[in-house]
Amino acid sequence: MKPTLILVGADKGGVGKTTLSRSLLDYFARKNVLTRAFDTENPRGSLRRFYPSITEIIDLGNVAHQMKILDTMDTANVPVTLVDFKAGNLSYSLDLFDRIGVLEAARNGVFNIALMHVVGPSIASLDEIGEIAKYLQGINYVVARNTINETNFFEWDEVTHRKYFSAIPKAQEINIPKLNEMAYEQVDLAGVTFKDFIDNHAPSGSNAKFSFVLRGYVRKWCTEIDAEFARVAILQEIVNGHRA
Amino acid sequence: MATGSTIYITASDQNRNGKTLLARLIVDYLLLDGKDPFVLDTDTPDGPLRQFFPGRTKLAEFEKMQGRMRLFDTILAGPGRDYVVDLPQRHMLDFFKAVEELDFFAEAKRNGFRIMVFFVVDRIVASLKTAKAIFEVPGIDLFVPVKNENVGSLLPPEEGALVLPAMPRSLAIAVADRRFSMRNFVLGDDQGLEGADKLALNQFLFAVLGGLNGLDSEISLAQLRQR
Repeated sequence: MKPTLILVGADKGGVGKTTLSRSLLDYFARKNVLTRAFDTENPRGSLRRFYPSITEIIDLGNVAHQMKILDTMDTANVPVTLVDFKAGNLSYSLDLFDRIGVLEAARNGVFNIALMHVVGPSIASLDEIGEIAKYLQGINYVVARNTINETNFFEWDEVTHRKYFSAIPKAQEINIPKLNEMAYEQVDLAGVTFKDFIDNHAPSGSNAKFSFVLRGYVRKWCTEIDAEFARVAILQEIVNGHRA
Repeated sequence: MATGSTIYITASDQNRNGKTLLARLIVDYLLLDGKDPFVLDTDTPDGPLRQFFPGRTKLAEFEKMQGRMRLFDTILAGPGRDYVVDLPQRHMLDFFKAVEELDFFAEAKRNGFRIMVFFVVDRIVASLKTAKAIFEVPGIDLFVPVKNENVGSLLPPEEGALVLPAMPRSLAIAVADRRFSMRNFVLGDDQGLEGADKLALNQFLFAVLGGLNGLDSEISLAQLRQR
């Protein structure tokens, strides 16, 4: 199977974009699929804090950094490359990738590409779907409705849904389930992956003393996220085609 | 009652049917048996069980995540002793839901605990149905239906329930005083009880403590059947 480039973006910060990136990297780790990640929150990437060994912080506007991602897609021997776009930069980043030929290369079958678009509880989030629609031809596009921070998500009625998704017939929606706030904060404080938190491992690899209760709720949450990812065809193709 | 470390859970789907009295009797029984039980009282903020055992009780607000951590993490952080968990009606279903979500009983067993659930079945049909649902929660080593003769019960006589015999009203009032210790009574301190009340409490404790003692062989048999 060809390598896959997964882009994770959102129209603004605080909607759970990095959480989704972490969930994806965790998911692939649990499925024994090798990954590498690029964090564009330059210079302080929050993704790198949790995955220091596979994450590199880059400046997307820097040509040398762009080359780090793209010129190594087929030589890195890693089936999944994840790029976590800086918050609020989704349209800019897609435009950049379009101009430097990334989207075209994916459409021509050089590698697979998927865009995971995290949307929060606002119509503004949906407006961005309209803005990026022109880039989405030939791209696996997944809208991730985030409820991670236990905010109340507005209900997408049928009319609203049609308005935003008519231009993107192949869009798929997944829900990022709620994780108890305290559990989320404890994983954050610990600076470990969700998997290590569940397994009670400190960043050093030694045994930690995380709460059994919080570990249990994170495990339950991961099971729910796994069920959402299992509905996404491109993710399943990766898992089935690239187990280490 | 039991030779290893055990988590004793007292539950009921109705209020005011003797559940906390039962939890109190279990703690006293364990103390008389030379054990060092610790109590987790989820009936906050009053903590009726804590009033009887203030030095060995933690309150846990189960509706909050901190309360759940206080309950489950306290037990798992201190294996090797017995725990008595008193669940008021309002937390019972959430408790067993959390137990299943967290797979708590399996983790407790990995830490050497056995699980006993006491469920007070009263005169309401729903109580029997709830008892059946709790009975089916995976991981319980021994499920003990409890019949409180003071409130009545739908349990058939041959059900093998633990029975709390009826108690005269004057005695019920006397033992409800937080300064009254069942354990001290058994050890010979009448604590002012006289005549009929003293006799009634003797009979009550003989029945209940004898019933609890008999559960030891039952849990061993139940565990043998599970293997």
